[in-house]
Amino acid sequence: MSRLRYTIGRLLQAIPVLVGVVTITFLLTDAIPGDPVSIMLGPSPSAQQAEAIRAKFGLDQPLYVRYFNYLFDVIQLDLGESLYYGVPVTQKIMERLPVTMLLMTSSFTFALVTAVPLGIISAKRRNKPADHISRVVALLGVSTPSFWIGLMLIIVFAYNVSWFPATGLVMPWAPPSAIGGASNQIDVIVTSIRHLVLPTITLGTLQMAAFTRIERSSMLEVLGEEYVKLARAYGVSEGKILRKHAFRNAQLPLITIVGLQLTTALGGAVLTETVFSINGMGRLVITAIQNQDFLLVMGTTLMFGVVFVVGVIITDLSYAYVDPRVSFDGGD
Amino acid sequence: MTKDNNSQLIDRRRMLQGLGVAGIASVAGCSGGGGGGDDTGNDSGNGSGDGSGDGNQSDDGSGDGQASQGGQLKMALVKSPLEFDPIVLNDVPSAQVSQNIFEGLYEYDESTGLVPALADGEPEVNDEGTVYTVQIAEDATFQNGDDVTSEDVKYSFEAPVDEETDNASELNMVDTIDTPDEKTVVFNLSYPYGAFGETTLAWSIVPKSVREEDPDAFNDSKPVGSGPFEFDEWQEGNFARITRYDDYWGDPMPNLESVEFVPVEESTTRVTTLRNGENDIIEEIPPKLYSSVEQIQDAGIQEVPGIGYFYMAFNCAEGPTTDPKVREAVDYCFDMDQAVSNYVEPSGVRQYSPLPQSIVDDWGFDTGPWEQIPHSKDIEQAQQLFDEAGVSQDYSWRIIVPPDDKREQIGVTVSNGLQEAGFDAEVQRLDWGAFLEQYVSGSEDDYNIYTLGWSGSPDPDAFTYYMFGATEDTLGVTDGTFYHDSSERAKEATEKFVEARETNDQEQRKQLYTEGITTVLEDRAHLPAYNLKNSFGVKEYVNDFAEHPVDSFHLSSNHNNVSIDE
Repeated sequence: MSRLRYTIGRLLQAIPVLVGVVTITFLLTDAIPGDPVSIMLGPSPSAQQAEAIRAKFGLDQPLYVRYFNYLFDVIQLDLGESLYYGVPVTQKIMERLPVTMLLMTSSFTFALVTAVPLGIISAKRRNKPADHISRVVALLGVSTPSFWIGLMLIIVFAYNVSWFPATGLVMPWAPPSAIGGASNQIDVIVTSIRHLVLPTITLGTLQMAAFTRIERSSMLEVLGEEYVKLARAYGVSEGKILRKHAFRNAQLPLITIVGLQLTTALGGAVLTETVFSINGMGRLVITAIQNQDFLLVMGTTLMFGVVFVVGVIITDLSYAYVDPRVSFDGGD
Repeated sequence: MTKDNNSQLIDRRRMLQGLGVAGIASVAGCSGGGGGGDDTGNDSGNGSGDGSGDGNQSDDGSGDGQASQGGQLKMALVKSPLEFDPIVLNDVPSAQVSQNIFEGLYEYDESTGLVPALADGEPEVNDEGTVYTVQIAEDATFQNGDDVTSEDVKYSFEAPVDEETDNASELNMVDTIDTPDEKTVVFNLSYPYGAFGETTLAWSIVPKSVREEDPDAFNDSKPVGSGPFEFDEWQEGNFARITRYDDYWGDPMPNLESVEFVPVEESTTRVTTLRNGENDIIEEIPPKLYSSVEQIQDAGIQEVPGIGYFYMAFNCAEGPTTDPKVREAVDYCFDMDQAVSNYVEPSGVRQYSPLPQSIVDDWGFDTGPWEQIPHSKDIEQAQQLFDEAGVSQDYSWRIIVPPDDKREQIGVTVSNGLQEAGFDAEVQRLDWGAFLEQYVSGSEDDYNIYTLGWSGSPDPDAFTYYMFGATEDTLGVTDGTFYHDSSERAKEATEKFVEARETNDQEQRKQLYTEGITTVLEDRAHLPAYNLKNSFGVKEYVNDFAEHPVDSFHLSSNHNNVSIDE
């Protein structure tokens, strides 16, 4: 099976998954107690006004009719109109998604850049002080809530020493005119990095901790393989063994976990964006839920589903680049 | 304009839902709390305008020439504005921005009095209080250069009703509007609505031609008003920026060159942005962070009680709480003074009636008797009353609260008292959707007791008619107590609120309100709890910032003009 056919196959497999996401989200949203019209208009809208809103959003239709209408609209990439914002859901998602993507990309980069060396050092110096420190850091990272890390970082680095801003996110490609105090694109990028530092550490710490643990155990396993012992017997240097023989083979489990961590990161983004007032998908979800904006809730959940599915497919495809033994024929 | 629209009695800003600040009556007619619901809690609106304002700003009046010209102010709001057209907007942050772009015929002074803005002098009122004639200032212009005309005023008052916006109920007492000439407008009221000259005439005026040409653009990208600031740019969730309108027809010309409003929802983060200078002013300081703001060396707190009312109420339609004796027993189960002291102060103040202190002061109500009505905690007395009323010890109480920490704490305090008295009691914190659905059901399965908040314009009508007024428009809808139908005495009391609404004589109204409120408090349909302050953290280099009981704050007005020291 060619890589292209495999990719298409995986994309087709994603369709029932996404239909499932739509169905479950739709039913759960419908089951939430409370009336979105009450939230929208206050507790005593006129009957006429409430009726008009219900008709506009199809709330006067039976559940199954609404479901199939929604499914039909989703197929046409129409996610409806947000009750709260009064604009198409897709427009809000398109506004917010790049912000969250930037945050997630930077936090994953931070996590990988720190976790891989930490994991290798930990494995190489097993049961030595460096290993103990690395494991404690990983344990703390996994067990500390991201919002708490965010608040602590704000208190220390924004409140006490004022090194970094506590709010907002500047997109690196924003025009200088839109950023107060920026005179050129370099200024914009520097401002963007300053704004990114604290949220990146907040969101990336959990991933970093998880990746470090995986990297360590994976490296330990590979370093115990026969071919590594053979290389040592041949007198190959430890550095070369690590670089040439062990490192690449130890990355497969890490790639798997990177794909799966996407959902955790999206959940963390909700908290991180709230703490740092970043206007991304996380805050959009919170606003949607608080205001019982059911179309926005369904739209954002579907988008999270799409991001996750795409992440998993990319993970699968990237196996082949790391490990040539992986084929797309169903074998290994 | 007919009374049919009375059914749209409440808008989102009146129901104090737990977010956003304050009043904002001048722009959108009435005030209230926004939507959402975070822990930072709350909103409200009303007050006396006598806020302590212990910041270090000079509240010395209206741009006295000493202030520096220019400067860009950054202000952190709790939430992002959503729209700017005062005809349709219905949330606090939107009104906080919009009120700087638009003006009404009248605007609030430093407290709750109205002074002319677009109007030229005081309104002429006929003896019955049903006809108000207002002259528009000759030189008043919109930001597109057009004169402000009587047609614009007529349009601004009629459009909310014609378009059935959420704000329609603010203007439902207006029957017809005449425009005998370009600068004269005559309001004919359906009945002598006492609060018309006190609050309604502050309604914002929009240019008819501009708004009709493109209502959507007018709402989100090109609003045009007659105020001292003009709209510059808005990115939803990121910022909204207004700039000084250099050809402003009125006085004073703003000192500030521009103002950027930035939403920062998390309260700790908001305080941090004040300390590190990301923002020059932040709004809404929760109780737990007062000391943090006070410790910031180059900033202070300015605050004023808002126009709001937070309370605990009983289900008088079903269950044991239909008996006033049981409600009194519940009152004995806890100490509201202590609860407010523990969970609300210093961000709020104790309130003993539905009327915020500013209304009490303005009208000269004697609150002494009302303050004597609530009991201190006395579990034995409570148990005796429960026994007399025949409430079984097996009864399980259900208290529902909205998603707001302060109101939840009050609910928990009562629940603890009921448990001490030997009952099972459960506090359920509901999301707004579920809460709004349950608290008006009148079913004891849904609730025995609830906590809620209310905001309004600075007139007793806003705090009585909508919650207790027994009319077809309000029955069982705005009032989850159903008190009006619970007894003949209750009916008589609530009918006084309706009568007061349609009376022009202030002394007569005051008498009706006094009698009605006394009965409501003695019957304990409500247990008044507290009112929140509109609080702001303000940097020292910001001069003349004015917190306001109704409008939340003023930047450039008849009594202040904010500037920034270089």
